[in-house]
Amino acid sequence: MGRLGSSSATRSGWPRSLLALLVWGALLLYAVWPWLPGRGRQARPRTIIVYGFSILGDALDRSVLPAFARHWRAETGERVEFVTSFAGSGTITNQLIMGVPAHLALLSLELDAQRLAAAGVIPAGSWKSLPFGGVVNRTPFILLVRPGNPKGIHDFADLGRPGVQVVHPDPLTSGGANWALLAEYGGTARHAAPGHEREAGTAVLRGVWKHVVAQAASARAARTQFENGFGDALVTYEQDAVHGNGDKEKKKKSAPKWEIVYPPSTVLSEHTLVILDKNATAEERPIVRALAAFLWSDEAQKLFVANGFRSVRDELNGANPAFGKIADPFLVADFGGWKKVKKDIVDGIWKGEILPAIGK
Amino acid sequence: MTQKTKPRKAPGEGSAVLPVSLLLAVLVPLLLMPLAAVFVFAFRGGFKDFLSALTAEDAQFALRFSLLIAFLTAAVNAVLGTFAAYVLAKYRFPGKKPLTIAVNLPVAIPTVVVGTSLLLLWGPIGLLGKALAPLGFSPMFAPAGVLLAHLFVTFPYMLGAVKPLLDELEVTYEEAAYTLGAGKWQTFRYVILPALRGGLFSGTLLTFAHSLGEFGATVMVSGNLRLRTQTAPLFIFAQFEAGNVEKANAVAAVLAALSFAIFFFLLRWSGPAGGRTQGH
Repeated sequence: MGRLGSSSATRSGWPRSLLALLVWGALLLYAVWPWLPGRGRQARPRTIIVYGFSILGDALDRSVLPAFARHWRAETGERVEFVTSFAGSGTITNQLIMGVPAHLALLSLELDAQRLAAAGVIPAGSWKSLPFGGVVNRTPFILLVRPGNPKGIHDFADLGRPGVQVVHPDPLTSGGANWALLAEYGGTARHAAPGHEREAGTAVLRGVWKHVVAQAASARAARTQFENGFGDALVTYEQDAVHGNGDKEKKKKSAPKWEIVYPPSTVLSEHTLVILDKNATAEERPIVRALAAFLWSDEAQKLFVANGFRSVRDELNGANPAFGKIADPFLVADFGGWKKVKKDIVDGIWKGEILPAIGK
Repeated sequence: MTQKTKPRKAPGEGSAVLPVSLLLAVLVPLLLMPLAAVFVFAFRGGFKDFLSALTAEDAQFALRFSLLIAFLTAAVNAVLGTFAAYVLAKYRFPGKKPLTIAVNLPVAIPTVVVGTSLLLLWGPIGLLGKALAPLGFSPMFAPAGVLLAHLFVTFPYMLGAVKPLLDELEVTYEEAAYTLGAGKWQTFRYVILPALRGGLFSGTLLTFAHSLGEFGATVMVSGNLRLRTQTAPLFIFAQFEAGNVEKANAVAAVLAALSFAIFFFLLRWSGPAGGRTQGH
C-alpha cells in the first residue's frame, strides 16, 4: 500500500486536490457540527441513563420515558433527556457489573438483580422495597408459529415432535430464555402426577432443546431470526409477539409473519426494576426516584399495556384486546423463586442433564 | 492466468472472456450481491422512507459520532504511527524486534479481545480504572473509551504504510542533509516527510476507513449508549437486532457508500497532491 503514493503517474493538479480538500472539510464539518461551541444548547437538560432488557426498547423510548419527560417539565420546568441502551438481560447485568453509568435498569428477571447485589452494585434486596416488590410489568411466555400453524403446535411438548425446528433465545445472556426454560418445564410439571413432576418437566425440556436450531443473545434478536425465516416455532414473551404484529400495520403490504399459540399452562414473567444509587449524584437522585415511581403510575402502567405488557394491576389489562387467555398461568414463586429455579431447573436440569445428553 | 490462448481466437480478446467471466461468477455472489442487497433493502420503502430513517436523531448522531471518532483516530495515529515507524526504522536498540512485533499485534488480536482488555484495564473494576475512577477519570462507556479502542485497533495501519518507505529510503539523502548543516527536525521535515507522503496518505485513509467500521472493540467499551457512545456500526447492529431492518439499512447504505468513496480516494487520488490534502 505504501507504493501507491509513489507513482507519480497519478500526480494531479490544483483543482483536484482542492476538491478533495473541500470534500474532506465538508465531511469533518458534518461530523463536528453538533459539538461546535456556537451551538450550545440553551439550558442543559437533565440526563437520566436507563438500561433495559431487549423487548423494552420501543415501550420505553417511544411511550413511557417521553411521558415522564412531559410530566417533569410541567412540574419543574426542566427538560429531561434519556440515554438508553437495550440488550439481553444477562448482557445488561454484566455491563452494569462492569460499571456502565446507568441510573436505572429494568431487568427481565429478579435473578439478575440478585447478581447485581452479589457484585455489590446495588444493596441486597433493595428492589423489594419498591412497589410490587420491584416488579414493573409482566408478560406470559407463549409460542410463535408460522401462519396457519402448519406443524400443529399447541403446547411446549409439541416442540419435541420430530421435524419441528425451534428458535430460542440463549439462557446465558437472555433473561427471557430463562423464563422460557421455566415455562417449558413448569407448564408440564404442574400437571404431572404427584411424584412425577420432575420427570415430566425434564422430558418436555429435553424435547424442546433437541430441536433448537438457532439461539440468539436476546429475545428480541431471536424474534428477528424467526422473522427472517428461521425455524417453525419461537418461544418468547407475549409482549414481543403482540407488539411486533402491531408494528407491522404501518407497512401495510406485509402479511402477518406468525401466529400466537397460547400454551394451556405457562409462566408470567415479572420484570424487576433496580435503582443504581451509586451512579447518581445527590442532585440526580430525586429525579431518578421520581422516574422510578412514575413507572407504577396509572399513566405509565396504561402505556405498558398499550405496548403489549401486562400491568401488575390486573384491572388495567382489559384495555389491550390482543391479550389471549391462558388456562393456568403461574409465577416463579410457585416454583420457589428464582434462586431455587436457577439452581434446580436452569443449572440442575437444563445445563446439568439436558445439554450434555443432547451434545450441545 | 490468461496464457491459454486458443489458436482460433484472437489472442488479446478471446483469452480474457473465460477467466473474467469465471472471476465475475465468483465475485458477484460473494461480494457484489450482498452489498447490493443493503442498498436494495435501504430503498425498498422508497426514497422518502430512506431519508426519514436516515435523518432520525439517533441515526444522525451515530453517523456523526463515527465520523468524528474516525477523524480523531486518523489524526492521532497518523502522528503516533509515523513516529513509531521512524523510531523502529532509524534506530538500533535492544528489544527492537519484540517491540516491532508488539506494535503490529493489534492486527492479529480479535477486536473483541481488545475491547475486553481495555475494559479490564480502564473499566470501573479494572486495574487502572479502579484507582482513577475516584479522580473522576473513567474513559470506559464514554466517547474517550471508544477513541482509545479505535487507536488501539488501527495503530498498525499507519506503521504498515510508512515503515516500508522509511526502510527503503536511502540513508545518503539524510547524510547529505546533515552534512549540509540541517538539524534532525529539518531533515525530517524537508527530506524524510516528503518521501513519505504517499504512505502517510494511504495509511491515514486506511486508519480512517477501519475506524469508521470498527465494531468488535467498540461494542465492548462503549456501553452502546444511544445518543452518547453509539457509533454507526453499533447502531446498525442494534436496529437490526430490534427488527428495524429499514432503519439499520439506511445507515448501512451510507456507511457502505462512504467506504466506497474512501477507497476511490485511496486508489485514484493517491498522488502526492492528494497527500497534501490530508494536512492535519
